[in-house]
Amino acid sequence: MTPALWKSAANALLEANLQLTRGSFSLDVQLTLAPGEVLALLGPNGSGKSTVLDLLAGLATLDGGTVTIDGAILTAPGRFVAPERRAIGLLGQDPLLFPHLSARANVAFALRVGEARLTADQARKEADRWLDRVGLHDLGDSKPGALSGGQQQRVALARALAAGPRVLLLDEPMAALDAETAPFIRQLIREQLAETGTSAIIVTHDIVDAVVLADRVAVLHDGALVDEGTTASVLAAPRNPFVAALAGVNLVVGSVQNGAVVAPDGRIFHVRPADAAALATTSSILPASVSSAPRARTGSEQNVPAAAVFRPASVVVQTEQPRHASPRNVWSARVTGIEPGSGGVRLRTSGDPEVIAELTPAAVADLGLQLGSTVWLSVKATEVSAYRR
Amino acid sequence: MIPRLLYLPASIGLALLVLPLAGLLLKVDWPALPALLLSPEALQPLGLSLATASVSTVLCLVLGVPLAVVIARSKPRVAGLLRALVTVPLVLPPLVGGIALLSLLGRGGVLGNTLELAGLRIPFTTAAVVIAQTFVALPFLVIAVEGALRTAGVRYERVAATLGAGRGTVFARITLPLVAPGLLAGTVLSFARALGEFGATALFAGNQAGVTRTMPLAIYTAFNGSGVTTDQAVALSLLLIAVAVIILVLVGTRRASVLS
Repeated sequence: MTPALWKSAANALLEANLQLTRGSFSLDVQLTLAPGEVLALLGPNGSGKSTVLDLLAGLATLDGGTVTIDGAILTAPGRFVAPERRAIGLLGQDPLLFPHLSARANVAFALRVGEARLTADQARKEADRWLDRVGLHDLGDSKPGALSGGQQQRVALARALAAGPRVLLLDEPMAALDAETAPFIRQLIREQLAETGTSAIIVTHDIVDAVVLADRVAVLHDGALVDEGTTASVLAAPRNPFVAALAGVNLVVGSVQNGAVVAPDGRIFHVRPADAAALATTSSILPASVSSAPRARTGSEQNVPAAAVFRPASVVVQTEQPRHASPRNVWSARVTGIEPGSGGVRLRTSGDPEVIAELTPAAVADLGLQLGSTVWLSVKATEVSAYRR
Repeated sequence: MIPRLLYLPASIGLALLVLPLAGLLLKVDWPALPALLLSPEALQPLGLSLATASVSTVLCLVLGVPLAVVIARSKPRVAGLLRALVTVPLVLPPLVGGIALLSLLGRGGVLGNTLELAGLRIPFTTAAVVIAQTFVALPFLVIAVEGALRTAGVRYERVAATLGAGRGTVFARITLPLVAPGLLAGTVLSFARALGEFGATALFAGNQAGVTRTMPLAIYTAFNGSGVTTDQAVALSLLLIAVAVIILVLVGTRRASVLS
């Protein structure tokens, strides 16, 4: 249990205390969400993540507990506010666009029945503005069947936000998209959540979702929260095997400088060229089909938060300073820990954040490494992916 | 890909369906046809059939769609029971349906006595025709729409609810359009079934010209030769076939335009 989550409710937008038993599965979760905050809910399959979202949205009923939003009770013993009166939106991995309605009519539907309660005419015009925001200006007349998966998900995002939800629940929204489309949708979600100031809870399997989208991470396991904190702190010191496996990466949360990521201790991490280009723009670059003028600008990238991610196996450990000047990140550090890892030996090294290198036991012996040894570490820039936050 | 052996029974099956209709066409007395079809003996039952079948179809929609929704959204055990109850009239010989309707609404029937005290007599009226037709046609509509509802699932409805749409809005703007093809199919099936209804009507409504003599009853009457020739029966049958073909064509083009 994490009572810390429950007591930090001073200015919470959403407070939930959820209890549910279904057969051998039981759920007991306390959550809060501050206004404008994005919380990532991580956890393995069957841990109850989607159930938590259903309970919050009013699509499933609790055995016990309460859900309040802005102090108003949505769920409590003897009280249940219907989903359509909660203003809690849901965007899943399946866009679920109404197949008989055009993209515009899908968004207009949300504007008519949602918080805005617009007339048909107003809703149509406003829907076009929303489609513009998600880069689908030209496709308002298209039926969902004529749109690609990524385009459908963009319409679904516009529709979900157009309803004016006080909290948006995202249930693995990138899971059904291909690897090329997912980053664009992720950036779009990040931008639109920020622009609309929408509070959100995102359920995900993907560490990148948490890194890019979330301010805070909560880890669900077997129906209970087992860890909670800022994204960086939870991933840096995982207290749960699932997160450790998920976070089996080096994560450098810092800021953008000249297309690279600067760590809190000043180390500069050069990243692979494609990501460097993405870092250098202040807005996500939407695919070529987008008609609206690109809003990307360069030059104002300082202090833009970003994260660099690389695998421990990509870190090369040497005892001498490497001579070659290929595009590598090279630095020296002290060995602060030597532990068994999934792929050999995990070497913890000093710095903020600490970097983990993975190497074979033979290599550790060859290099004569021990606690306190000074080593030179290097990572090829092409092994480092980066995300704006 | 198809085993050649299958072509033989397939051909016989098709012949069994098509040849009788061809035989009927061959028996038609074409020169006399216009006179036979424009006679009051033909036009009156046709008008009555179209009118009663239309009213029955509307009744099927008004009663059947809500029933289908209730079944589709019930828990499995309840849904199974309701579905079985709805299916009974479908597998029942229509004559038995007629007797059942008489037992309930006829003289001496449970409800019939009460209605009679109130001055209402249903058997052997045009209302009885409509009730008999609805009785046999309703299951077709319920089953078609219920199947479409179950296929559509509740996922779109749930999304609509999270957007803020109330139940009525969701039903009218999401649920009904989603099941439109099933609704159309069910409507056509029940209209066709109502149009062809004979057994229950004969027992429950009788065979009074202008009141309860629908097309099938007129054909039966003509065929039994009570004053008219079998030519009249053949001509009336041709008329019913023509109506059926027109409906199928209309629905076919409509469906094609929906899909395109």
